[in-house]
Amino acid sequence: MTEFVTYLVSGIALGSSFALIGSGFVVVHRVTRVVNFAQGSLAVFGAMLSAWLLADRLPHGLGEVVAVLVSGLAGLLVGLVAIGKRGTPPLISLIVTLGVSMLFAALIIWLWGQDPVAPPGLDGFATVFGAEVERQRLLVVVVTLSAFAVLALFFSRTYLGKALTASASNPHAARLVGIDVRRMGLVAFALSGVLGGLAGVLLAPSTALSFYSDLPMALSGFAAAVFGGLVSPLRTLLGGLALGVAGQLTAGYWSGSYQTEVALLLMLVIMIARSRSFTQEEAK
Amino acid sequence: MARRVPTPEPRTVLVVLACVAACVAPLVLSDLTFLMHTVLAAIVVTGLSLLMGYAGQASLGQGAFVAAGALTVAVGTTKLELPPLVALLCAPLVAAAFAAVVGVPLLRLQGHYLAFGTLALLLLVQAAMGAFDWLGGAFGISGIPPLGVGDRIVIGQRPYAYLAIGCLAVVLLVSHRVVHSRFGRGIRALAGSPTAAESAGVPVNRSKVAVFALSAAYAGLAGALSAFFTPYVSQDSFPALESFTYVIMAVVGGLGTLWGGVVGAVVVSVLLQVLNTVSSQPGLPPTAAPIMQYTTYGLVLVLALLAMPRGIVPAVETGVLRVAAKRPVGARQ
Amino acid sequence: MLHIDDLVVRYGSAVALDGVSLEVGAGEMVALVGPNGAGKSTLINTVSGLLQPTSGTVALEGRVAQVPEGRQMFPDMSVEDNLLLGGWSIRNKQLDEVFDLLPDLAGMRRRNAGRLSGGQQQMVAVGRALMARPDLLAIDELSLGLAPIVVAELAEHLRYLNTERGTAVLLVEQEVALAFDLCARACVLEAGRVVASGPSTALAKSDAVRKAYFGDLADLEVAP
Repeated sequence: MTEFVTYLVSGIALGSSFALIGSGFVVVHRVTRVVNFAQGSLAVFGAMLSAWLLADRLPHGLGEVVAVLVSGLAGLLVGLVAIGKRGTPPLISLIVTLGVSMLFAALIIWLWGQDPVAPPGLDGFATVFGAEVERQRLLVVVVTLSAFAVLALFFSRTYLGKALTASASNPHAARLVGIDVRRMGLVAFALSGVLGGLAGVLLAPSTALSFYSDLPMALSGFAAAVFGGLVSPLRTLLGGLALGVAGQLTAGYWSGSYQTEVALLLMLVIMIARSRSFTQEEAK
Repeated sequence: MARRVPTPEPRTVLVVLACVAACVAPLVLSDLTFLMHTVLAAIVVTGLSLLMGYAGQASLGQGAFVAAGALTVAVGTTKLELPPLVALLCAPLVAAAFAAVVGVPLLRLQGHYLAFGTLALLLLVQAAMGAFDWLGGAFGISGIPPLGVGDRIVIGQRPYAYLAIGCLAVVLLVSHRVVHSRFGRGIRALAGSPTAAESAGVPVNRSKVAVFALSAAYAGLAGALSAFFTPYVSQDSFPALESFTYVIMAVVGGLGTLWGGVVGAVVVSVLLQVLNTVSSQPGLPPTAAPIMQYTTYGLVLVLALLAMPRGIVPAVETGVLRVAAKRPVGARQ
Repeated sequence: MLHIDDLVVRYGSAVALDGVSLEVGAGEMVALVGPNGAGKSTLINTVSGLLQPTSGTVALEGRVAQVPEGRQMFPDMSVEDNLLLGGWSIRNKQLDEVFDLLPDLAGMRRRNAGRLSGGQQQMVAVGRALMARPDLLAIDELSLGLAPIVVAELAEHLRYLNTERGTAVLLVEQEVALAFDLCARACVLEAGRVVASGPSTALAKSDAVRKAYFGDLADLEVAP
């Protein structure tokens, strides 16, 4: 039983980072209809920057926050490239962000090398339902849930959040009232940078990340976002948690090396299932 | 009256030059690995260019279908005792079937689902190859017999190179017929506006699946040929970066053009060789190579898409047409 | 306060507006009628700044806000949020002012705008436009899909706005009886050109115009 709880908690922790990256996809997609392939790169970037800052440059807490904010800036830069040019169709923007993710890889190797990096996190263990769980993993869960709550409040209570929601739900009417929908798209990209950076910073102490981690992270995040149809943050959260738990249970009871594959398989299944409920019109 | 020498179309000249180069190169080069790799990439990318240019869909994991073709050959010849030629012919069919199964549901959704779906497929195929022994397991599949009919087998690199070039020609011919057929016109309407195409009676979904399957068939063919050429197939033979490279080649060469695949494959392969040579100069750190490669890939992709969204071939054509227009008709050369 | 001079608007190769000239004075109500595809929506969108003229000028003294065709609510957001977003370009948002002008809106401020009836949404759309404190209201198809009694109520509100606030109105409207009843002046648009313009009473009686556009409404009676 304690074994199960350990897997459950570490699954929820892992899934939380998937959900954070997934929410980055959702925020950008809702406002711009673009899928940001560099979402995983933003996570790795945030983790690497955080590790570098925490190595005797900034104290714990501040280093992570700075890394996350700089990741937001990085997200904004991605947005400028992806949607800065008027009339870029969404699929082209997707491939542009693929190119940007490669530039990120080059940047990361140049700044921090090719080896995996694990910044220091919370040490020690805590007891949950009788099982010993790393405190870092509990931190991930707590921060993720808080982040989603803040995000929900942001979209429903703040003026900027409402403008973002409006741009997403009715861009024509948004333009009518004077909202610059493209600028809202850039805000969305910056926000996704913050979310991605946060995911990386939280995950890296437990699972060392390197320049090639962006691909599995992007895929896992996208898989979580698919649960929510790329539009619902709540379902992305649930999807991420489900994927994380499924992955950890697979690792624990079957074999550790197939976590990503389970997530990918589930993602394909969900996508195929979604296609059944789509008519041609809705899909466009 | 002075006889006017008809000025040959610039495109015809280039095509003729390309054919001559293709026939001569295998005789001239000592190691044909680079040539083979480029020709096979051209085959894959010709299909990918059709998919991206006409069906407006992106496949980020086209390597999954290359793998399908390679595995058909590898498993077929070593485990199922298939004659090599049969395996070669089955490979594109298997790859196309694989694509159809995945494509029918995914092509009903927005484009990014197929993009990520094919990538997921690629990674799953890789994982399956490592997990199951009959797909190679930890050591891969080696000992693939050489291609041949009955007692006559192919020896050496050169015949494979010519075979690959021949297949590329076939692929280009098939693409040409498809594009200029009624089906092709329907697909081109698709690329412009799916709703307009639909109201004009184009079966949108079936057309998309057909183009997708065709591109997979090309990829499978390339995979099969590479399995015979380097008689070894393992889960590391189809890295994700290679599939991304196909996308870069397609973009550079020109989406939805006939020769875009060839041009893109040649340009990017040569670029990669240059990069390799430059980055292995003494005095540069070992990280120089991946940094330069990723930077170049990233820049090429971003700049090509933003500046020249239709790729090199249409841009060059427009440029050449403009130059040709300035010369008076019938001028002596 | 709105001066449109020889406006040409093209979509690619198609010409939507082919040299349109039109004036709306301060506090005036002008109707824009004509068959489908005449370019009425294009004109409204150009006046609102959503479309760029290919040639010609649109000169506006003051602010314009559009009440779009089909209401265009922000779904899943409250009426109040819809209104607040209407004031995006205004620093001091006067929600209360809009509630004073359209009291019914105050009663539904918390309701989900996407779930309201057509008439209620149209009122929200007008209120949303008013939040921008416009000098000119550009309205695209006020009555589309609404019951006559609802439309009459909306028309009353517009009259009130015009007389009490001096808000000018440019009204695109399929229902020509409504258009002529509400607006003192009218312009008839066909295939991107103004084919007739003048006082509504005169236009309503003009034979050629009546036959072409009013069909069985040829016996239209317009109050002097």
